[in-house]
Amino acid sequence: MPSNKVQIIKESLRNKILPSEDVVYKELHTKEKYIEILYIKTVSDGMVIKDNLIIPFFEIANPDQFLDYLQSLPTIKMFEKEDGALDELIRGDAILFYQDHIFLLDSKVDRNNSVLDTTVETTIQGPQSGFSESLPTNIGLIRQRYPQNTLEVESTTVGTISKTKVMIIHDRKVADIQTLHKIKQFLSSIDIEMFQTGEQLLDIIKKSNRALIPVMLVTERPDRVVVNIAAGKIILLVSGSPFAVVLPTVMKDFMSSMEDIYQTYWVAKFLLVLRYIGFMTSLVLPGLYVAVTSYNPELFRVQLALNIAGSRTSVPYPSFIEVLLMLFMMEMLTEASIRLPKAIGPTATTVGGLILGQAATEAGLVSNIMIIITSSVAISNFVVPINAFSFTLRIMKYFVLVLGTIFGLVGVVFGFLLLVAYMVKLDSFGQPFLTLIQSKPSKKL
Amino acid sequence: MNFLNKWKYLMIVVMSVLLLTSCGFKDIDKRYFVVSIGVDLDKTNSKRYLVSLKFAVSNASKETPTEFQIISEKANSMSEAVRMIKTKVDKEIDFSHAKAIVLSEELVREKGNAGIYYWFARRRDIQKISWVAIGRPSALKVLKVKPKSERIPSNALFLSLGKDGSESPYVMSEFLFDMKYRLIERGIDPVLPIIDAKKGFFEINKVGLFNKSHMILTLPPEETKILNFLRRREEKSSNKITRGKTTIVIDTHKVNTKYKIVTPKGKAPFIKVNVSVEGNLEETTKRVPKEKLSDFERAAEKSISKEVKNILVKIQKANLDPIGFGLRYRSRHFNNDDWEQWKQIYPTIAFKVQTKVQIEDTGLIE
Repeated sequence: MPSNKVQIIKESLRNKILPSEDVVYKELHTKEKYIEILYIKTVSDGMVIKDNLIIPFFEIANPDQFLDYLQSLPTIKMFEKEDGALDELIRGDAILFYQDHIFLLDSKVDRNNSVLDTTVETTIQGPQSGFSESLPTNIGLIRQRYPQNTLEVESTTVGTISKTKVMIIHDRKVADIQTLHKIKQFLSSIDIEMFQTGEQLLDIIKKSNRALIPVMLVTERPDRVVVNIAAGKIILLVSGSPFAVVLPTVMKDFMSSMEDIYQTYWVAKFLLVLRYIGFMTSLVLPGLYVAVTSYNPELFRVQLALNIAGSRTSVPYPSFIEVLLMLFMMEMLTEASIRLPKAIGPTATTVGGLILGQAATEAGLVSNIMIIITSSVAISNFVVPINAFSFTLRIMKYFVLVLGTIFGLVGVVFGFLLLVAYMVKLDSFGQPFLTLIQSKPSKKL
Repeated sequence: MNFLNKWKYLMIVVMSVLLLTSCGFKDIDKRYFVVSIGVDLDKTNSKRYLVSLKFAVSNASKETPTEFQIISEKANSMSEAVRMIKTKVDKEIDFSHAKAIVLSEELVREKGNAGIYYWFARRRDIQKISWVAIGRPSALKVLKVKPKSERIPSNALFLSLGKDGSESPYVMSEFLFDMKYRLIERGIDPVLPIIDAKKGFFEINKVGLFNKSHMILTLPPEETKILNFLRRREEKSSNKITRGKTTIVIDTHKVNTKYKIVTPKGKAPFIKVNVSVEGNLEETTKRVPKEKLSDFERAAEKSISKEVKNILVKIQKANLDPIGFGLRYRSRHFNNDDWEQWKQIYPTIAFKVQTKVQIEDTGLIE
C-alpha cells in the first residue's frame, strides 16, 4: 500500500472515531522502527496487546523481522476496508500502522466467560452447569460436548444498533437444509434496533409481533443443546446471552426435561405423564371450578357438593369473581417472588401463600376449596419444564376460565378445543407444533 | 379503519353476551340440594298425594353433621307439588343429588300412579342412577329417620342401597333407569326394596314385586335372598341347612344361577334352573367331621332346590316375572306372536331346579 494512502486512511479513521476518554492512540519508537496503535482500551485486552505487540516490538530489533512476525501472528488480519476496520475497532480490535501496512490485531476482551450454574432448568441429576455470557466460551462448550467434524458454525449479526453477533450452529449430517434456509432468511429479515438475547425472537417470529405460544425453545443447558443438535435441530447462540435458541421447537420439546434422559425408563415416563396432567390441571381447573359449581353441581359427589356449598355460604361474590380474585393474588405472588431478592423470597411466599390464603378463607372472601384449587393450579403450572411455555400456560387458563364462566361446562370444553385448534395451526419453521414424535438423538449416531 | 371496525365488532359481540340472561349460572350456595324424595298418599283426602322433599342444609362448619329440612306439600301431581314447594324455600331447588326416591307402600299398592313413576324419569335433573324404594310405614317416616352414623342427610340410605356401604343379600336395590325399563318392557317386571323406618335406623330386607302398574306381592327376607341369587346380584350370604338333628350354616362366597327355557315339541315346556353354591361351614350345632361334608352337601342341595322352586312357583302364581323369563323367551323366539304365546305358557310352565353345593372346608383346622 502506498504510504500516502496509509496516511489518508489513518487520518480518516482517527477522525471518525470521536475523541473519547477510552480511545488510545499510541506511537512506539525504537532506533530502527516505529509503529502506531489505535484501540479502545475498554473493549480491548491490554494484556493481549502487551504480550503480542509491545514486548516483541522491543525485543525484535530488525524492522523486516518484526514485519514477518506480525504477518505470521494468527490473531492478526490484514486491513481490507475502512468500514470493516472501524467496526472491528469498536468491538475491541487494535489497528496497527506499521511501515506501509495496516493490520488488525484481535485483542477483544472476553468478559463474562465464566460458566454459570443452571438456575432456570434445574435437574436433580446430570450436568449442572449452563452456558456463559461469552460467545466463544459457549461455542467451546458445544464443541467439547459434540466432537463431530460435521458441526457447522456460521455467524451473522442482528440489530441495527446493537449489531449483535449470532452464531448458527447445526450438524450438517442431520439438520434439514430447508429449515436452515428458512431460519437464515428469518434472521436476515429481522428489523430491530437492540438485539440482546434469543428470547426476543419469540415475538419477532410472528408477523404481528404478538405471540401467545412460543415456537422456539430457549435453554441454558449445553447438554440439551447438544442433544438437540444430534436430533437435527438448529441452534442460535447470541453474544452476551447465556441462553441458546433451539429451532424448530414443538410442544413435545417444551414438555420434556433433560432429566428424561437421566432417569430410568418408567420413572421418565411417569414424570412425563405427570407433566401433561399438570398442564391440563393448570389449564382447565379454574374454569372447571366455575363451570361445575355454578352450572353443573351434579358432577360432584353429594358429599363434596354439600361441602363446597357450605364453605361458599359466607362468600359474597359469585364463583368466577372468587376465582379471579384468588388467581390474581397468586399471579401477584409469583411475580413478586421473581423480583424479590433471593433472601426474602421464601418469606414472601410464606406470608402470601399461607397467611393470605388462610386469612382470605377466615374472612369469608373465598371458600376453602378455592384455596386448594388456586394452589394446585399454581403448583402444577410450574411442573412444565420450560419457562417460556409455563408463562404461556398462565395466560391460557384465563381464556378457559372466561368461556367456562359464560357457557359452563360446554364453555370449558369449547375453550380447550379452541386452544388445541390454535396450537394445531402453529408451526415452527415448517414443523407442526403438535408433532407427536419427540426429538431424540437417533440411534444410528 | 379496518382495524377499528374489527374492534367495534368484537365489542358488540362481547357486550351482547353480557346482555344474555344467565339461565344456567347459579352458584352452588344458591342451590338447595334435594337428597331424597318421598311420595305418600294424602291421608286427609283433600288432594291425591303428599310429596315430601328432604333438603340438605349445607353447613359452613365441618364439626357438626349436616342438617336437613323436610318440606311436604299436598298436590294432585308431582309437578304441582314441586312448584308449590319452590315457593316455600329461599334457594333454587336442585334435584341433581336426589339419589333416593321413596314411595309409600299404600301408594304402590294402588293402581293408576304410573304418572309419578315416569315423572322421575322425565325430569332431566334427577339422576337416572337414583335408587327407588318402597317406604314403610310411610315415605315421610323413612325420610325422617336420622341414623347416628350419617353426617350427610340420607347418606345412610345411599350407602345401604348402594354397594358402597353394607353388602347384603337381603337388599335388592333398584335404579330409576332400570325401574323405568322394567315398567315398559314386556317380559320383565319391576322389583323394589322395602325400607322399614325404625327409630334411628332402617331395615331393608324385603322386596315388593310389581306388575306393570302396581305392587302385587311382597317377599319376606329369606325369599328376598333367594330372588337375589336368581338375579345374580349378591353372592355373600349364609344358608341354614338342617340334616337330621344337626343344623349347619353355610357361608357362601360364590353363588351362580343359570336358567334355560326348554320348549320340546309336543311336550310341556319347562324352565331348567341350575344353581351352584360354593362356601364354607360357618356354624354348626354339632361337630361335623370333614368326611361327613358330602352328606351335608346333598342335604343342602335338596333344601336349596326346594326353596328356589317354592319361590319361583309363588311368583308364577302371582303372574309376575321379576327375573325376566318372558324377556328371555322373547329373545329366543322370533314369532310375531311370541308375547301372546308366552302369556299362555307362563302360568303353567314347570320349574326343574338342580342345585350343586360345594362345601370347601369346615372352617376349622383339624
